[in-house]
Amino acid sequence: MSSNLPILLFFVPFVTAVALPILTAKRRSWCAPLAIGAVSLMIVLSIANLRLVMSQGSIEYALGGWAVPLGIAWLDDPLAAVMVLAVSAVSLLSLIYGRAVAAARFDNSMPYYTLVLLLIAGLVGIVFAADLFNVFVFLEVSAISAYALVGAAGGSAAVYAFRYLLLGSLGATLYLLGVGHLYVATGTLNMADLATRIPELITSTAIVAGFIYIFLGLSIKMALIPLHGWLPDAYASAPRAVTPLLASTVTKVALVAWVRIEYSLIAPGVEVGHVPVLVLLEELGVIAALVGGSLALIQTDLKRMFAYGGIGHVGLILIGVSLGNPTGFAGGVFYLVNDAVMQLSLFMIAGAVAHYYGARTLDELRSLRQRSPWLTGALVVVAVGMVGLPPTGGFFGKWNIVLGALEAEHYLAAFAVVASTLLTLAYFVRILTNWFHQPAMPDAAPVELARPVYVSLGIVSVAMIVLGLLSDSIFEFLLRTGGGI
Amino acid sequence: MIHPHDSAIVRTLGRIVIPVAQLFGFYVLIFGQHGPGGGFVGGVVLAASMILAILIFGVDANDSQLAQKVLHGDGVGLLIFAGVGGLCLIGGGQFLNYSSLAIPGLDEASRHYAGIMLTQIGVAADVAVTGVSIAISLSMEDGEVAAEEVSHG
Repeated sequence: MSSNLPILLFFVPFVTAVALPILTAKRRSWCAPLAIGAVSLMIVLSIANLRLVMSQGSIEYALGGWAVPLGIAWLDDPLAAVMVLAVSAVSLLSLIYGRAVAAARFDNSMPYYTLVLLLIAGLVGIVFAADLFNVFVFLEVSAISAYALVGAAGGSAAVYAFRYLLLGSLGATLYLLGVGHLYVATGTLNMADLATRIPELITSTAIVAGFIYIFLGLSIKMALIPLHGWLPDAYASAPRAVTPLLASTVTKVALVAWVRIEYSLIAPGVEVGHVPVLVLLEELGVIAALVGGSLALIQTDLKRMFAYGGIGHVGLILIGVSLGNPTGFAGGVFYLVNDAVMQLSLFMIAGAVAHYYGARTLDELRSLRQRSPWLTGALVVVAVGMVGLPPTGGFFGKWNIVLGALEAEHYLAAFAVVASTLLTLAYFVRILTNWFHQPAMPDAAPVELARPVYVSLGIVSVAMIVLGLLSDSIFEFLLRTGGGI
Repeated sequence: MIHPHDSAIVRTLGRIVIPVAQLFGFYVLIFGQHGPGGGFVGGVVLAASMILAILIFGVDANDSQLAQKVLHGDGVGLLIFAGVGGLCLIGGGQFLNYSSLAIPGLDEASRHYAGIMLTQIGVAADVAVTGVSIAISLSMEDGEVAAEEVSHG
């Protein structure tokens, strides 16, 4: 059975999502336990999967028994194994956290849990898919759930969700158009098969146009500057319970899809009309990292500030994976996993601050006198992680991206990473000075956080440091992702 | 809101056409093994027959009962599909590898036949339910939609 782990990892959230309306029609209170149980099972399966990939290397899974390239293939490689574990863990924490801070109408709400589980199923599908069209299908499965979840808060959130829907659909359409180009030019959709045919066709207009469409489509999905417009408003207005999950997974997994396409199909050093493709992508990452960090610095709303911070980090990751050397690649992918965890923590903090103190902006933070020690601790740890100081995973990710940039002698990229670190430091200084602005009231007891909230905040903070401590072995593991460099 | 049609001709014709359309839907679904047709098309024809009932007799009429009941079957089709895939996994093959469909007493050819048939039935059920639920949502007035959403949580 062990070879069926990828499909089981997809199956558990998917079947639970589909069966949830039937199982809970009469017993509303079963929603949360069933969903949390399903995601816990996913964690167990993804740990088993990780161990399997560690011992046996990448596994190709042919759906329906149709051999590649005729059938649809899923690839269970180190990148997928690590990402699936990250997605499952992040989902479990945000479900547990969501129960404590959600508005009352989300309590035992069947549509909410069904949508979250469908979102997770779609994300798992994207991570495993080794077939361009399959990626499209799962992008849509996860995106449709994400639109609905953003709009679930009602009011202005519905407007932002609709804008997200329009732009997201545009992204999906562009992606599909690109896939069509590649299919017509090569006659295959399987990535491994494409990888053997594309090098000799790389100068063909159809292939180049196809790649541009695919990249544009996925750029909207991963909110790469300047195509990030949907993200800040959508995340700032989405329900508190779902923002951490959306922020930490949706854009990151779209980026994983691009990493997989770029890594297997675009060889380092390829030039199209004297433009080195990877360097171009790297420069786009440089722009995103610098502009994203600067935009975060001028925000006054906490959630929007974190959203722009995440947008900047997408640029950093793109720099890392486009350097064309293993150090940068491992650094970028490792930073991607780390960023998922950090975004989870950031939006959990922002949600908890809004829930317990009613504070959304930096000015409102200034007047806080009863600071919860858990929130303060989590904020400090995540600040250390975002800025990238040694014990956390953020440091090792950025360090490797910088080392990779120096190795490739791309000094602009190295400068961008350092500059974006300084920008991150600047906006965290802004947050922390506002956070500690008023002296604490000595006699008043701090606000008590609900147990699920502080437990999940604690776990996330520890996870950031554990990722840092394990960084070496994770790098080594990620470098075993086959093919390419 | 869709109001029932009070023309005797439309109502009488509807009573004749709807069962025939349903029968044809099943035929298309099963015939899909041997020629044009299959789950999706069969499901669309089935949905069309139920939508016709809603248009002629109104959403709340006795004659539209099937359409109303079917609404609760969201996801049953997907579960059938997933169930077939799961049985293939239990039989030791890959997902949807019909050769290892774990239904005892079938040779390999019949396993393929049963597997394809069942997944097609799943597809048809889902398409039909989706079609009917779109028609019913569109036939609601604003206030009613809100009430529906509240009752669903």
